[in-house]
Amino acid sequence: MPSPRPATPAPEVARDPAAPGTGPDAGARTQADRRPGADLRFHQVRRRFGRLTVLRGVSGQVEAGRVMVVTGANGSGKSTLLRCLAGLLLPDAGEIAYREADAAASGTDDLTDSPLLDAGERRRRIGYVAPDLALYEELTTEENLAFFSRLRGVPRERGPALLQRLDLPLDRPAGALSSGMRQKLRWAWALLHRPRLLLLDEPFQNLDARGEGVVREMLAAHLAGEPGGAGPGLAVLAQPVDVEFDPRWEVADHVQLAG
Amino acid sequence: MSNWLAETLAVFAKDWKSEARNLYALNTLALFAITTLVLVSVGLGPMGVDAAGAQVLPFLLWIVLLFATSAGLPRAFVQEEETHTATALRLAARPSAVFWGKLAFSLSLTWGLEILVAPLFLAMVQLDVAAPGQFIAALAAGGFGLAAASTVIAAIIAQARGRSTLFAVLSFPILIPLLLLVVELTRDAVGGFDSGAVLRQLLLYDGTVAVAGAMLFPAIWNP
Amino acid sequence: MTTSPVNTPAIEPAAKPAGWKTFLAWLLWGWLGLVIGAAFLWVPAQAAGFQNPVAYRILFFHVPTAWVSFLAFLAAGVWSVLYLARGRARRHDVAAAVAVELGLAYCVLATLTGSVWSRIEWGAFWNWDPRQTSIVIALVFYAAYLVLRGAIEDDHARGRLAAAYAVLGLAVAPFLYFVLPRMMPYSLHPEPVVNAEASIDMENRMLMVLLAGAVGFTALFFWMHNLALRSRLLAERLEEEAQL
Repeated sequence: MPSPRPATPAPEVARDPAAPGTGPDAGARTQADRRPGADLRFHQVRRRFGRLTVLRGVSGQVEAGRVMVVTGANGSGKSTLLRCLAGLLLPDAGEIAYREADAAASGTDDLTDSPLLDAGERRRRIGYVAPDLALYEELTTEENLAFFSRLRGVPRERGPALLQRLDLPLDRPAGALSSGMRQKLRWAWALLHRPRLLLLDEPFQNLDARGEGVVREMLAAHLAGEPGGAGPGLAVLAQPVDVEFDPRWEVADHVQLAG
Repeated sequence: MSNWLAETLAVFAKDWKSEARNLYALNTLALFAITTLVLVSVGLGPMGVDAAGAQVLPFLLWIVLLFATSAGLPRAFVQEEETHTATALRLAARPSAVFWGKLAFSLSLTWGLEILVAPLFLAMVQLDVAAPGQFIAALAAGGFGLAAASTVIAAIIAQARGRSTLFAVLSFPILIPLLLLVVELTRDAVGGFDSGAVLRQLLLYDGTVAVAGAMLFPAIWNP
Repeated sequence: MTTSPVNTPAIEPAAKPAGWKTFLAWLLWGWLGLVIGAAFLWVPAQAAGFQNPVAYRILFFHVPTAWVSFLAFLAAGVWSVLYLARGRARRHDVAAAVAVELGLAYCVLATLTGSVWSRIEWGAFWNWDPRQTSIVIALVFYAAYLVLRGAIEDDHARGRLAAAYAVLGLAVAPFLYFVLPRMMPYSLHPEPVVNAEASIDMENRMLMVLLAGAVGFTALFFWMHNLALRSRLLAERLEEEAQL
């Protein structure tokens, strides 16, 4: 029997946000040291499409500075899970709880008073990279990012800066890009508004060695947190096979989906 | 975070920028409108219609406009879903900005179409309009209703299968009150009768559809 | 080999319905039986003011079905609003869909009985007067709603998109009520006769049977609706539990 919509999950979900996670040296951290600044946790998420149950009660958690890895065979529900986390799909059951501390407003990274963000708020705050995400083919890369910069209230220069970093031409229509360049454009789009939470569905697909190097750098920088920025970011990474783990990543959780 | 007006204008500007690159909507609208106009004109014959037959002409004008907008306006949403750009838009823009931005785009297309079609129609069927002010008001208000209803229904069918036929099926019942009102208003404008009451009802319809659409849009657009 | 209790679906064997529900069902059937009987036996055999004084009895079936078909429209609208505003509960979505399906059936019946009566009484099956026009528009709207539902596979999407369309239709419907009578000032539908308030024009017995019929058909609609709603929800539950 489906549970009610998880729009406002109960605050007493499992773990204390300040408690150590499942990292290797978790025991050594004290409550004072660990001020996550952002926290994503989901519990018993279920989703079916018609008669096909794709997600059968999946749970996980990740906080700022760390990565959650989601693996599974094709069709095991990785993309579905990420879409639920992104707020693009509503789960049939289960809770998804995401909190971001607004360090600028409260001066602290403490999450205690931060509200739980519902699907709508999550949608606008996250950065999302996925194979089925497309930008406007008739607009150039620069025009695409300029449009989304206007939507997100981000300075216009950010787009060209990202494009340059990723070695993408500014004046080529998005429809005329190779598949590797499209993937890099997706990364540029995802990072445009400096999101705290990155949801990455097969993010290294089609990239050549150099491109993959650049985006891995960007991911590492995101996780570390830019100096003077919002703070360490968090990421959920979905890959069909065990992705080459980057030593810079601190893995909070490894969710393995059965097909 | 940006403000609503900036986002709405951004959506509007982006739609026009895209349109300027491939002219798909403009071509569709113009093509359908002109084809139907030619059919109407040929069908009426070189002698045109007599005074009694002229009663039907305002209705034919709106059939032309309805047909053309049914073909050309749904693209505003259908294309976003088909090219998978809707995901990016859902994640980046607030729903009300998408709604009003797309409505503004559809409205500009509709009014532009009317500017092309109405004079052509009047010339082709040799119809004289006694109250041009009221005629223009009918076109403006009727056009707004067409654009608003089309925007809402396009957003609905964009997420379903069989989109092209579905649009016509869904929009017809919703547009009947609009058509009845605007044809009556147009007929009165041609004949020179004052029908402020009809115009008021038409504007009320327009407002109802726009407001209902705005309120329903988050449920339509968001999962 | 016996199956373990864990594997059997959690549906209890059919229990007897509660006493009062059975009583209500019998009451409904009795009521409708009385209405039908009265329509043939109790009301005046010949009614003045009608072209065909005998066949006017169709009115006792035509008017209630027409009334219910519009009621169904309203009910579907209300359930759609509830679906969107009260947490997207499955039962509201199914309730709206069932209301439209039943409404369609009643609509077809009303149209058929209406055209038969129209032919007998005035010689023409159809004349596009306001009431006939509105029932056709309702018919088209119901069909469009059901076509929309058929074109969407995902439950969540189907529920919210169909609900949005229903609410839009509800918002726009009042315009027809005002616009149509002005467009078509003539009407096949004799206002005073079918207007429940103008009892001076209609004999008491006829009025009573007509109102009783309206009540009966409304109750029938809601009873059918409730049955269909419950059976569909149960079917969905069975399917879900079979999947677990």
